[in-house]
Amino acid sequence: MKVVLQNLTKIFPSRDKKSGKEVVAVNDFTFEIPDGKLIGLLGPSGCGKSTTLYMISGLQKPTSGKIFFGEDDVTELSTENRGIGLVFQNYALYPHMTVKQNILFPLENLKGADRLTKEEMLKRAHDAAALVQIDDLMDRKPNELSGGQQQRVAIARALVKMPRVLLLDEPLSNLDARLRLQTREEIRRIQKETGITTVFVTHDQEEAMSISDMIVVMKLGVLQQIGKPQDVYDDPVNLFVAKFLGTPPINVLEGEVKGGKVCIGGAAVAEAPGVADQPVYIGIRPEGFELDANGALECKLSNVEVMGRDVSIVSTHESSVNPVIRSIIDADYAIDREAETVRYNIKPHKLFVFNKETEERIYF
Amino acid sequence: MEKKNLTTMQARNMQDVTTASKIMGIIVKIGVYLFLGIMALIVLFPFYWMIISSLKTMDEYRQTIPTFFPKVIMWSNYVNAFNTANLGRLFANTLFVGVVSTGLSLVITVLSAFAFARLEFKGKDAMFGALLATMMIPGELFTITNYLTINNLQWMYTFQALIIPFLVSVFYIYLLRQNFLQIPNELYLAAKVDGTSDLKYLWKVMVPLAKPTLISITILKMMGAWNTYIWPKLVANDDAHQLITNGLRNAFTDASGQVNIPEQMAAVAIVSAPLFLVFLFLRKYIMAGVSRSGIKG
Amino acid sequence: MVDNKHQWKAWLYLAPAIVLLLVFTVWPIINTLLMAFQNGYSANLALAGKTFSFGIENFRKVLSYKRFTDCLFNTMILCVATVPISTMLALLIAVALNSIKPLQRTLQTIFFLPYVTNSIAIGMVFAAMFNIIGLRPDGAMADTWGIINNVIMFFGGEPVNWMNAGSGYWPNIVVMVVYIVWNALPFKILVLLGGLQSINKQYYDAAKVDGTPRRRVFSKITVPLLSPMIAYVVITGFIGGFKEYSSIVGVFGETMGPVHDAGRLNTMVGFIYDSLNTRAHGTASAAALILFLIILAVTMVNLQVSKKRVHF
Repeated sequence: MKVVLQNLTKIFPSRDKKSGKEVVAVNDFTFEIPDGKLIGLLGPSGCGKSTTLYMISGLQKPTSGKIFFGEDDVTELSTENRGIGLVFQNYALYPHMTVKQNILFPLENLKGADRLTKEEMLKRAHDAAALVQIDDLMDRKPNELSGGQQQRVAIARALVKMPRVLLLDEPLSNLDARLRLQTREEIRRIQKETGITTVFVTHDQEEAMSISDMIVVMKLGVLQQIGKPQDVYDDPVNLFVAKFLGTPPINVLEGEVKGGKVCIGGAAVAEAPGVADQPVYIGIRPEGFELDANGALECKLSNVEVMGRDVSIVSTHESSVNPVIRSIIDADYAIDREAETVRYNIKPHKLFVFNKETEERIYF
Repeated sequence: MEKKNLTTMQARNMQDVTTASKIMGIIVKIGVYLFLGIMALIVLFPFYWMIISSLKTMDEYRQTIPTFFPKVIMWSNYVNAFNTANLGRLFANTLFVGVVSTGLSLVITVLSAFAFARLEFKGKDAMFGALLATMMIPGELFTITNYLTINNLQWMYTFQALIIPFLVSVFYIYLLRQNFLQIPNELYLAAKVDGTSDLKYLWKVMVPLAKPTLISITILKMMGAWNTYIWPKLVANDDAHQLITNGLRNAFTDASGQVNIPEQMAAVAIVSAPLFLVFLFLRKYIMAGVSRSGIKG
Repeated sequence: MVDNKHQWKAWLYLAPAIVLLLVFTVWPIINTLLMAFQNGYSANLALAGKTFSFGIENFRKVLSYKRFTDCLFNTMILCVATVPISTMLALLIAVALNSIKPLQRTLQTIFFLPYVTNSIAIGMVFAAMFNIIGLRPDGAMADTWGIINNVIMFFGGEPVNWMNAGSGYWPNIVVMVVYIVWNALPFKILVLLGGLQSINKQYYDAAKVDGTPRRRVFSKITVPLLSPMIAYVVITGFIGGFKEYSSIVGVFGETMGPVHDAGRLNTMVGFIYDSLNTRAHGTASAAALILFLIILAVTMVNLQVSKKRVHF
């Protein structure tokens, strides 16, 4: 089931009645989610990603714009008639019911022609539990389960009615680091097996990048960029997206374009054919540095951190916006730790140039 | 699980479902407000009836078909009620007992709660447990012996008989102790380091921080004095010491059991007014105190 | 940190409370037990030098009194009738209040008003509403029917002699049930509404996503999640119900019943005070202990039931 969001806007009335300032949580959001894909809605907190998810679920109504499931306009349709499954951030498992009762709950709500027999319900509940591998916990209460197990129960409860769209609100935020890795693979597997169009919300770019078919980056209610994780990483449309994706984060330096060259502190580090002379921000991914004794960019060396496979070189440069420049270099490379300075060449495809005013990408 | 979605969910006529559920929602909303409105009227009706009855003449009050607003407004009922029931004296007595017992009770409660919350002494937990256990016992069980004790102390028909037996409330000590415990112990230790005495710390830090609870206790205690009936009737039911509730109940019943109801209602209104005023201004504290206390008065 | 200085200081802070508790709480517990188990004990006679034999005569006497069993019956009837009615009504009102936004605070205040009243005073208002007799100007008695009967007749019903001379037992009980329920609602609504407001909204969102019908949300989610609060108001309701006394004084006066049948509506607590007035302190103590045991038993049963039903 593809999901289409058309000019979706959500405005919250101001809580402070005197100032009367409204909060635009989601602003003119248009996007098509292809059928059967896993989509990560990504952004810092307050960017409107959860609001978008809640509008898809129907728990919140858009101020304007439309939502389509396939060809059906569901904008005015109430939550229960949309056929969605929603996994809440805190799971919202009913504490007084066993795992089995929790999973059965949505099925028992079905009426008329949709109503299943008792056996069918139990079979469906067991299938859903087996899918998320909790079929041996069916008689426990939620407070007897670990966070990861509760998460699985919540997913099973969302899947048991075979939703058209599965929505997950910060599905991993309440888990510890180790479980987080495990569970995100799990979500990927379940989504692949069921083929249900799935949208999940997260503020953790690594999480979104690692399992999504597509990521949607948002900022202050405005859509920034959509695409496959690798494409967005390799080709960010603006400084915000470039900064938001990647660990360690991108290095940002002030510089200028002069005579078709990208210059940092007077040194030309890359070609920029056809770009008018102007001051710019320059973003360089940590893996975009190459050590070269004759390199164009000279930085003061402050520290070398060994990470096993790689080495991280921490250096400083007066044009750097960040306090330090961090580069990642293959560990085989011989580094003189005692040296005062270090010189780099920059890989052209790891360097992005942004307009100083708009922070939009300058392509060349 | 099969790789398909639930077909029945898609095959609905979406528009119909939406309209139907919207109309349903509105009907439910109206129903809810109707129910609450009717219940609110029922709850308010006795107050309304009290006020309009208190303003009627006897003749109008006795009409077979009642009037819902008095034809002649008899303010004089209030004056008569005030005099007949000797309300001035009753107010003064009640206020005196209320203020004195609330003040003393607060001091005792604060000191005990502080000891249980902050000081270390042998048998603290056992003693606190024993105190809580006494809350299980109905007050009626104490009344019999306390009546005899007051008698033996020759305190019959005195104010101290009305005040002293109820100065300690285990529940209030408990309430305040819980409140004190929420105040970080570091504050106390810091005060100790600075050489602050316990009493000064209690007065300057603990009491201000626990103010909401103390206000709740004060109001509930004052309301208690206003509403108490049984104990004063046993130990001090003479004119000099009678409290408001006792005086009110007996003032309007003559030998034949006949009552001047408008005047009686006027007296009830006068007695109820202070409670309402207090409630209006201190609603938050009353509700907070009551939701934790459970039993009235 | 525990040193001797702290020890005596703590006891100093506790001294006023301890002294008062010893005299007015601990001694009464001991003394009540002593009096209850001395056959026919009376403090006045004891002062005059009379001694009493130990035994359970007081309890046997109390339980054999028809007056006592009547009081017990009245108390039970009032409990059994008022606790379920007031709890159900309070639950409905609390749920309704919780589901609305405009007017919520205003209505909440209105529903709390009966709490801030003097139960004797407002009892007199209820008596006036149910009263059916007044004096005509010429001094003759006249049926006014009272406002309650007028409402009943407006809807086509028959007027009832609720509480005046010649009234029946059950109409009297109805009057008391109406008054006690009215009086008990505010506390229950307050507690239940507080409980409702602390239920995580996500449970309701989750139920909505699953298309749960309203009735099912109420019975499967709201009531179970509210069950600790419901148990609390039921237990305190029963405890209060077994100690019912002053609301009856409010409506019926100290006759504790209609004029032609004084004492008809007397309760356990009333019985204890009557015994006190006749200086039958042994009997009063025995009755008080019985009251205590009943309250204890009812609370235990309630706790047992709610342990099975309360889910946390």
